[in-house]
Amino acid sequence: MMVELGHFALILALVLSLAQSVLPMLGARRNDERLMAVGTPAALTVLALVALAFAALTMANVLSDFSVKTVFENSHSQKPLLYKFTGVWGNHEGSMLLWVLILSFFTALVGLFGNNLPQTLKANVLGVQAWIGTAFLLFIVATSNPFARLEPAPIEGRDLNPILQDIGLAIHPPLLYLGYVGFSVCFSFAIAALVDGRIDAAWARWVRPWTLTAWIFLTGGIAMGSYWAYYELGWGGWWFWDPVENASFMPWLAGTALLHSALVMEKRSALKIWTVLLALLTFSLSLLGTFLVRSGVLTSVHTFATDPGRGLFILAILVIFIGGSLALFAWRAGTLAPGGLFQPISREGALVLNNLFLTTATATVLVGTLYPLLLEALTGEKISVGAPFFNLTFGPLMLPLLAAVPFGPLLAWKRGDLLAVGQRLMTAFLIALLVTGAVLYQTSASAVLAALGIGLAAWLMLGALTDLALKAGIGRGKTGAGVMLQRLAGLPRSVFGTALAHFGLGITLLGIVATTAFSTESVLVMRPGESIRAGGHTLRFEKIEPVKGPNFTEEQGHFTLLDDAGAPRSRFIAAKRYFPVREMQTTEAGITTFLFSQVYVALGDTPAPDGAPDAGVVVRIWYKPLVTLIWLGAVAMMLGGICSLLDRRLRVGAPARRSLSSGSLPAKTAVAKTGAAKTAQASRSVQS
Amino acid sequence: MIFWIVAALLTVGATLMVLLPLTRRIAPPAVDSQHDVEVYRDQLVEVNADERRGLIDATSAEQARAEIGRRLIEAARMAAAEEAVVRPVKSATREWVTLVTVIAIPALSWALYTNLGSPELPAQPLAERLSKPADQATPAELVARAEAHLKLNPDDGEGWEVLAPIYLRMGRPADAVTAYRNTIRIRGDSAARQLGLGQAMTQAAGGKVTPEAEAVFRRALELDPQDMRPQFFIIDGWMQQGRLTEARDMIRELLAKAPADVPWREQAQAALTRLDDQIDGDAPDVSDVERTGPSSAEIEAAAGMSGQDRAEMIEGMVVSLAQKLEKSPDDVEGWERLVRSYVVLNRPNDALAALGRAKQALAAEDAARLDSVAAELGLVDAPEE
Repeated sequence: MMVELGHFALILALVLSLAQSVLPMLGARRNDERLMAVGTPAALTVLALVALAFAALTMANVLSDFSVKTVFENSHSQKPLLYKFTGVWGNHEGSMLLWVLILSFFTALVGLFGNNLPQTLKANVLGVQAWIGTAFLLFIVATSNPFARLEPAPIEGRDLNPILQDIGLAIHPPLLYLGYVGFSVCFSFAIAALVDGRIDAAWARWVRPWTLTAWIFLTGGIAMGSYWAYYELGWGGWWFWDPVENASFMPWLAGTALLHSALVMEKRSALKIWTVLLALLTFSLSLLGTFLVRSGVLTSVHTFATDPGRGLFILAILVIFIGGSLALFAWRAGTLAPGGLFQPISREGALVLNNLFLTTATATVLVGTLYPLLLEALTGEKISVGAPFFNLTFGPLMLPLLAAVPFGPLLAWKRGDLLAVGQRLMTAFLIALLVTGAVLYQTSASAVLAALGIGLAAWLMLGALTDLALKAGIGRGKTGAGVMLQRLAGLPRSVFGTALAHFGLGITLLGIVATTAFSTESVLVMRPGESIRAGGHTLRFEKIEPVKGPNFTEEQGHFTLLDDAGAPRSRFIAAKRYFPVREMQTTEAGITTFLFSQVYVALGDTPAPDGAPDAGVVVRIWYKPLVTLIWLGAVAMMLGGICSLLDRRLRVGAPARRSLSSGSLPAKTAVAKTGAAKTAQASRSVQS
Repeated sequence: MIFWIVAALLTVGATLMVLLPLTRRIAPPAVDSQHDVEVYRDQLVEVNADERRGLIDATSAEQARAEIGRRLIEAARMAAAEEAVVRPVKSATREWVTLVTVIAIPALSWALYTNLGSPELPAQPLAERLSKPADQATPAELVARAEAHLKLNPDDGEGWEVLAPIYLRMGRPADAVTAYRNTIRIRGDSAARQLGLGQAMTQAAGGKVTPEAEAVFRRALELDPQDMRPQFFIIDGWMQQGRLTEARDMIRELLAKAPADVPWREQAQAALTRLDDQIDGDAPDVSDVERTGPSSAEIEAAAGMSGQDRAEMIEGMVVSLAQKLEKSPDDVEGWERLVRSYVVLNRPNDALAALGRAKQALAAEDAARLDSVAAELGLVDAPEE
């Protein structure tokens, strides 16, 4: 019964979503508050229904109900319990359901915590969210129904793709979808503004937390995906410029631009139209990402969905939403009033520069990702655009942007003084130069580019610290350490957010440069007992032994990393797994971390056909200096985002409601901002 | 029944969630521009705070205050204007919309569900299916139960012995091979077990009696010389390999030794006649290899050859046939022979490749004929992962 209830709930959610996409917007047009009031309860109900459907599908997976087609195709009774849970979204149908679950979750959040929104805006936003929801629910019900049944039910499933049987699947797709779908709220705000022909004063303030939230999740999702690919695929690479990666990277770049332009709009009421356009583009790129991965037009690790019928449906969604929103923009953007003016050299100017570079970078990635697909579709010729293209286009675009980052936060709004800012950054610049020189000296001037890269990373990190120090008042007259700390603590949290995120960018850059320039790789046949040097350490191959897992068998190679004295420093295991149900083999890389660097070992084939124990195995060994900084930097960026999200400024107070016997003047707008109280609490207290 | 009740409750609940706000009088919320007024006040407070912290100097603070102040006044003016707009308390449109919504939500959802769902199908968690009383379980469920039991008790010979022939009937020959091997390992050798193992191996090889299977059949024959079945499998294997005279001689010998009323006499006699025809003349052959085109003389020669030489000869014939078809690809029968030969040679990938090439070269109806041949041979594309 549970399975069918889930199916019914899904269909009911579709129908209700349809109601939600019509009624509130109709109310907004007719100025009818009762119609508008439908939005929130409808959004909450849709969330409850989709959650019920998701729970039913999860239950079917966990209980190995092979009468459900997706469970049969992607599960196995012997699969470990964790993967029975994560396997819910380890396939096309389930992952689309997760997408819609997250969408309805965000929509419900807008409904619940949107009490401070003007009611027309809220009604329109909920309506647009429901358009997206309806389209995707229809897509699921029509082409990818996770509740399709099999009668008679098979007795055993076909198991989940072994590459996906990993903790990474538990984290990466949900984070990525939280990011993708989070941008839908920004999109809906933009459409609502265009439909209504007005941008409220606080539009940017309402959009920024959503942008930040989505951006934080997307940053985490991309970083997690990168680390997952790094350890699961056994190639030792952390970024492949694979179309699937690009698909998630493009909304990130556009989202980063949006984050910055929304700042200008919020502070200075400038760049309104541009911000609206960016909001549309960012979500459009998220949709494109979903399309690229879901329609199966790409072939890579993520190929868990291939079906042309679905592809056409998603293409239709894409055309309607992207084409429609851009057309609406072209038609209505003129009705939005332009905002404040500013000098080219100013905080606003710096943020415009940031936007120019980021959007251009997005465009290059877009071209590199879509060109091969278009070429193949039009001429049938298959080409692949790989790392060289992106390194030559994306890389040079990023360099000036990164070099400019420390200037941004130090420039004043409206009109800034570049020279003064330059003087303030002099210390940071000199230290960065010293670092560059030190690297050159260490490598005997053989790694000029790497030295410059590391210098740039140092410049970014020091620049962020300089910003904090200056705002705390260091160098501004004689003040005691206590006073400075007090000032530092008193700074708005968004200042810390900015510094932390920019610092994280520097950390990631340092990791990228060090790993790219100084990694070493060796491939050799090793016999148990043999040793090899890797990254200044000795690696000993202890033994290889067969082990039986729950739904796989594996050959485990045991390794020990020895320090200079010859004492064991860490022991770790690299393995090759064989999954009999799918007849597939996976590589489980052996990784040991010391400080920020890693030694990475992947087992290859046994040269002797019968795997005689003394014949040895092919072993690939990488030494990856500072590689973990790549992801730690992303974590710092996320923390920066969270800091910024906690900023008091983003909680906008709501005016008091008019009394029921209308006609009276608006009640005195009470002080809705009660310090740390949350928006919702604030508005409740105002109502009571 | 419970399902329909719960579904009905869900529908009613969902409809009510939409219906209630439509029918209830609510306090009119603040007009939109009032929100703007609020924001600008906020901004003024913020500018003051920034000035206090020394983040902006007095001049810019003053400028900012002036700028925000202008916007504040404008917003307040707009708010006052919006207050004057009449909001409809009674509205015919709203009443129509309410009516349509209340009807449409149940109607649409139930119509869709009855089309797409399978309300009569219960959930079937695996554990529940495997613990049902045995007389209610399907054969597949019983097998799964036995498998679960054997996973925990892999030395239960009786279990393996029961399961082995079931696997064979279910068309899971590879599992049957494992089950027979385990039975023999645990419970010892017997003619019936060796025969079953041989059958399973033959089925696993797509009907081909491999040398390994032949050895197993010989062992069965050793254990029970009275049972003719292993003997027939061995003869079948010879015929597949083109060793027709050997096969004929063996059948003759068996017929001579057997009593007059054995049940297989008639079949054996028929087989003998066919073999006689094949060896002597040009009648169609049951042996697949012969169809690739060797003359009876070649077959005679092949019969006398060692295994190695024979394989080379067959290989040569197949290669020449394949070359011929490259030049004149519109020969349906030729393609069919080629595909069959590959299957007999246990080269399913080549067979599939040949099938693919043939389908490209041939007209639709001929291609369909090849499809039926492929189906008969059990030639299916491996599922793509």
